[in-house]
Amino acid sequence: MTDTATRPAEPAIRPIRFVLNGAEREVAGVSPTTTLLDYLRGPERLTGTKEGCAEGDCGACTVLLCEHDGAGGLTRRSVNACIQFLPAMNGRAIETIEHIGRNGPTPLQTAMVENHASQCGFCTPGFVMQLHAGWLTGALTDRQSVKDAIAGNLCRCTGYGPIIEAGLEIADEPVPDTGAEDAALSARLAQLEGEGVFSYASDGHRWFSPTSVDELADTYAAHPDAVLVAGATDIGLWVTKQYRELPLLIDISHVRDLKVIEEAAGRVYFGAAITHREAREVLAGIHPDLGEMLRRFAGTQIRNAGTLGGNIANGSPIGDLPPCLIALGGRIFLRKGDDLRIVALEDFFIEYGKQDRAMGEFVAAIEVPRLADNQRFFAHKISKRFDSDISAVMAAFCLTFEASGEDVIVAEARLAFGGMAGVPKRAKAAEAKLVGRPFDADAAADAMAAMAEDFSPLTDMRASSEYRLKTAQNLLKRFQLELAGEASGRIAGMGPETLDMAPIGGAS
Amino acid sequence: MSDTISLPGGNARFGSNSGQPMTRRDGVLKVTGAATFAADNHPDGMLYAVTANATISRGRVTSLNVEAAKAHPGVVEVITPANRPPLAITPEAKPYPFAFNIEVLQDDTVRYAGQEIAMVVAETLEAATEGARLLAPTYEAETARVGFDDVDSFDPDAVGVGAPPVAEKGDIDAGLAKAVNRISASYETPAQYHNAMEPHAMVAQWDGDRVTLDTPNQALVMSTGAFGAWFGIPPENVTIRSPFLGGGFGSKAIVFGGQVLTVLAAKMLGRPVKYALRRDQMYGPVGHRGATRQAFRMGMDAEGKLTALEHLTTSTTSTFEDFIEPASNASHDLYASPALSSRHKAARLDIGTPGPMRAPGEASGSAALESAIDEAALAAGLDPLEFRLRNYAETAPMSDKPYSAKALRECYAQGAEKFGWSKRPMQPRQMKDDAGRLVGWGMGTALFPAPMFQAKAKATLRADGSALVETAGADMGQGAWTALHQIAADGLGLDIAQVEFHSGHSGLPDGGIAGGSGHTATAGSALHAAGKDAIAKLTELAVNDEASPLFGAGNIGVTARDGRLHRADDPSRSESYGEILARAGVSELGGEGQGARDPSSAEEYAMFSHGAVFAEVKVDPELCQIRVSRLVGAFAAGRIINPRLAASQLYGGMIWGIGFALLEEAVHDRRSGRIMNANLAEYHVPVNADVPPMDVILVDEDDRYVNALGIKGVGEIGITGTVGAIANAIWHATGVRVRKFPIGIEALLAETSAH
Ligand SMILES: Cc1cc2nc3c(=O)[nH]c(=O)nc-3n(C[C@H](O)[C@H](O)[C@H](O)COP(=O)(O)OP(=O)(O)OC[C@H]3O[C@@H](n4cnc5c(N)ncnc54)[C@H](O)[C@@H]3O)c2cc1C
Ligand code: FES
Ligand code: FES
Repeated sequence: MTDTATRPAEPAIRPIRFVLNGAEREVAGVSPTTTLLDYLRGPERLTGTKEGCAEGDCGACTVLLCEHDGAGGLTRRSVNACIQFLPAMNGRAIETIEHIGRNGPTPLQTAMVENHASQCGFCTPGFVMQLHAGWLTGALTDRQSVKDAIAGNLCRCTGYGPIIEAGLEIADEPVPDTGAEDAALSARLAQLEGEGVFSYASDGHRWFSPTSVDELADTYAAHPDAVLVAGATDIGLWVTKQYRELPLLIDISHVRDLKVIEEAAGRVYFGAAITHREAREVLAGIHPDLGEMLRRFAGTQIRNAGTLGGNIANGSPIGDLPPCLIALGGRIFLRKGDDLRIVALEDFFIEYGKQDRAMGEFVAAIEVPRLADNQRFFAHKISKRFDSDISAVMAAFCLTFEASGEDVIVAEARLAFGGMAGVPKRAKAAEAKLVGRPFDADAAADAMAAMAEDFSPLTDMRASSEYRLKTAQNLLKRFQLELAGEASGRIAGMGPETLDMAPIGGAS
Repeated sequence: MSDTISLPGGNARFGSNSGQPMTRRDGVLKVTGAATFAADNHPDGMLYAVTANATISRGRVTSLNVEAAKAHPGVVEVITPANRPPLAITPEAKPYPFAFNIEVLQDDTVRYAGQEIAMVVAETLEAATEGARLLAPTYEAETARVGFDDVDSFDPDAVGVGAPPVAEKGDIDAGLAKAVNRISASYETPAQYHNAMEPHAMVAQWDGDRVTLDTPNQALVMSTGAFGAWFGIPPENVTIRSPFLGGGFGSKAIVFGGQVLTVLAAKMLGRPVKYALRRDQMYGPVGHRGATRQAFRMGMDAEGKLTALEHLTTSTTSTFEDFIEPASNASHDLYASPALSSRHKAARLDIGTPGPMRAPGEASGSAALESAIDEAALAAGLDPLEFRLRNYAETAPMSDKPYSAKALRECYAQGAEKFGWSKRPMQPRQMKDDAGRLVGWGMGTALFPAPMFQAKAKATLRADGSALVETAGADMGQGAWTALHQIAADGLGLDIAQVEFHSGHSGLPDGGIAGGSGHTATAGSALHAAGKDAIAKLTELAVNDEASPLFGAGNIGVTARDGRLHRADDPSRSESYGEILARAGVSELGGEGQGARDPSSAEEYAMFSHGAVFAEVKVDPELCQIRVSRLVGAFAAGRIINPRLAASQLYGGMIWGIGFALLEEAVHDRRSGRIMNANLAEYHVPVNADVPPMDVILVDEDDRYVNALGIKGVGEIGITGTVGAIANAIWHATGVRVRKFPIGIEALLAETSAH
């Protein structure tokens, strides 16, 4: 524990410095919880960026964020300006619709016009920014990738088809080589970001952005009553929807030590500030179901901002990652001052609204074991609307098998669920029914019945209690059928492309 | 960039611009963010208004902490019923068309959750927001009535906009008695919210006794009268600017309380005021599609012909105003039946007043009717398409009028062909895809009236041979700026590039209402007529001018084409508009035109657009997740001015059909009456993953009676037919008939597990 005497002095308060559409800005005197969108549409009068919801649901406010990676490089991602706080922009660059095509319409903009991709046009700037970001980052390759890119953008008029066509048209356009400019911008951003902990204040409200994990530990130890903000995809809504006062915020999105993914001895370590987008490929490498789950986790902009740490630390009973990581036997590293402890993820969630996290303690990393050869995994997200929807039920199963005489039996079962209780939780009674016997239809049926002992889920707007229980049970059945080779193909993935289904008209 | 795609064709009868799939004229403005919507305006000295909205749905506001709000730095004024300055009329007065009894802080009663109960005006948006929060209202709440079963129904005087609630023909009971097969079924549709992507907004600024309003508006000139009435000033003192609307769908045609309060605040404080609704505030004060319960009885003879069709709807409305969803009227004009009965009842709930929402009446009515027809076809043992053909109406069933044009048979045929309908097995649960999902096919008929309203337009030929055309139309996204421009250019015999088009401003000639799918027909007719009028005057000049090659052609006639007048009998003798004007020493020549339906054809014919929609769905057998995997729609809607715009409207409408069938529903908390999903995360509109591959077929139809141009509308019809088609496909996939929309996986799961 860092003691007060050796703790560095409070960092000096600085204005927020960033680059907006190529020009430097220095902002002070606005509340730290001013959203980027309100700043753009207000003082800057950059009204091309629209507000459709102010809570990350519609994508009308999409802007492009560029940041230096601490090593001379530059990364780009699209974010929802409506739930990003302005001080988080310190040392970053933002581009808005006004900047795109400042020298005449870009090929994307031309394609949008020619494909008739706007009706009312209110959503259009957001789609343009989102597809532009997708193009710049190489995310647009085929129809599905274009659809995925715009999953977090709503259009009430066009029905999306022409927008997808426009996106497809530019997928093949070569991305200009901006290496030299990027290096220059990276250096400029590093300089704007400044050394050490960025500290900002206005009206008695404070904001800190440490850039190393030790600075974070020290800052949090000095201000244990602060609220940590990572991607702000939850916290943004506390401000825009719940009007909560947040007088003291510590931003962890600039902490570069928390933005690494490492691997050792069959275990992957994710820094807590790794975003869902950054994690997706590695998680998909652990099991494709995890990749698919993340594809359907919110929309691109939210995945570009939301972090693994935030998805765990928010304690939500319906977060999508925790059940998956619990099933895999994940652990989290919690740090407070100089102390580090490791907790099995399932033990972190104590009850609704209560986690095993002390004042001043933060999630530093998440450890996820890779699957062994004798393990089988399954994860599926059930939501009302296929994309961009919070889960009604999130199920993740991991079974470890062993040989027993002639049979292959279940040695260990981990069946974890979100949406079934006040916390992400394992179905222990159901697991018990599986262990020590082959995973056949009978075993699955017994375990399904036992789930009724494990859970008495809530009825809410997303789903009724009966529905939740029944789908949870049926998902296990599905896993069993799948392992037995009886159910072919995956459940989801019914994009338009899968539609060339030949055998229509036949009897079952 | 090529703004138009040149395709041969166009309709020679009316000029060459119409019929072209031009891209929208405002496309570049939209993709560059340069199109300005109301909330983008920011006049100097502007204040921000934020309302506090009721969190109970019935009762009284007992206190508001006005002091706390006023004490907050930046707050300029707090308007409550206690200090609200007088308005020239009361909400009950309604001296203008489409006037609703709205909330203007007239008293402290709360009539629905989300109702405005105070307005805070401040120097910044943050201060106004914080001020509104500080008001911390307290209430005396009464029991909320938000469900059909909470209240008794009553017999309304009128439904929709002034339509009779009951229409009957023949004897239903006798028809049912002689039927060989009968069905009776009840359906339920929920409250739905427009959720245009642009939340309602207004910037109001006064100058003496004149006021300028930046606000999205579907009926510009009419609304000047409305605002004038509230403030006791003549309509011409009200200027409304609405160059772009971020979607309307019916919710931006009717003045609501927050707008009046914004104008009032600006007047009271002598500064411009902006009021932009938050998304959650869009669930209450700005209308919605009322919920319905619809009961059917149908009888069929041995051949499967209807002997009776009865459609009884109960629609929800508010406690203080009537807008009764005229759902039963969907049965008036589609299927032939000797006995036909459509009736409406209504139920008053503690909700905001419903209003027109894309295809009011028809959307809900057709959702239920097309489902019931599917049930009837099954009862009659007939393929659903065959059943519809056997009951094809040659004249409008309720009115017995002939149709002005009806290419529905062609829609059925072309849609079915494209979809592959003939391979459909009769029984449900017969088809599966490779992944083991249940596959089902369903269809529905689409129908929507082709109304016309009143519109005026002006055309001015200029010395250089170019022209200016003007009408106060509204483009909510449908493409009025492009389609109307095309029609106007044709009226003038000019290329569209030669014609400047002004719209979206109330100072222009009244373009009428952009609603009811009648705007292109109405404003288009006015623009075309204005062009013709200008050309007639130009012709006068030419044929009476000895120096003109057209001299003396008065009786022979001339045609206007490509900026020149040609002698009808000898097209090689022609003269350009500019030359004619120059010689006459006229710098500008104006024409005027009106658009309205010819009363005698209106009397004689039933006028509708028609269509047929075919849907394929896939249902996961264990999880019951439903996905629409294919949609084909064939529509006959008169002459298509711009196939690209028209197809886009139809696609959009069909996707609304997906939302209606599977997703959209406002859920009220039974206790507080509040809408629990008043946001875009939980009120589900279709996202792109919900949208399957789709085909839209535009079926040729020449309608000589709707108007001289042969134009009907395409804005709303897409949603009709589609909902039923999807519902019927779900039945076909699963064998389960869910009679409550949206069709949820839960209902399906509960039922399918029986299989
Ligand atoms: C439109 C939308 C869609 C969404 N869809 C999904 C979805 O499909 N599935 C899903 O699971 N979630 C979803 N979410 C929720 C959210 O995006 C995720 O939970 C996200 O992972 C949160 O991460 P964040 O970095 O943005 O957290 P923040 O908002 O920054 O913080 C969330 C909470 O975690 C705390 N916190 C953050 N990091 C740490 C840390 N390192 N140590 C300790 N505490 C920390 C914060 O103090 C706060 O209490 C959605 C949100 C939105 C707005
Ligand atoms: S405004 Fe809707 S996502 Fe930001
Ligand atoms: S064009 Fe209107 S919301 Fe997309």
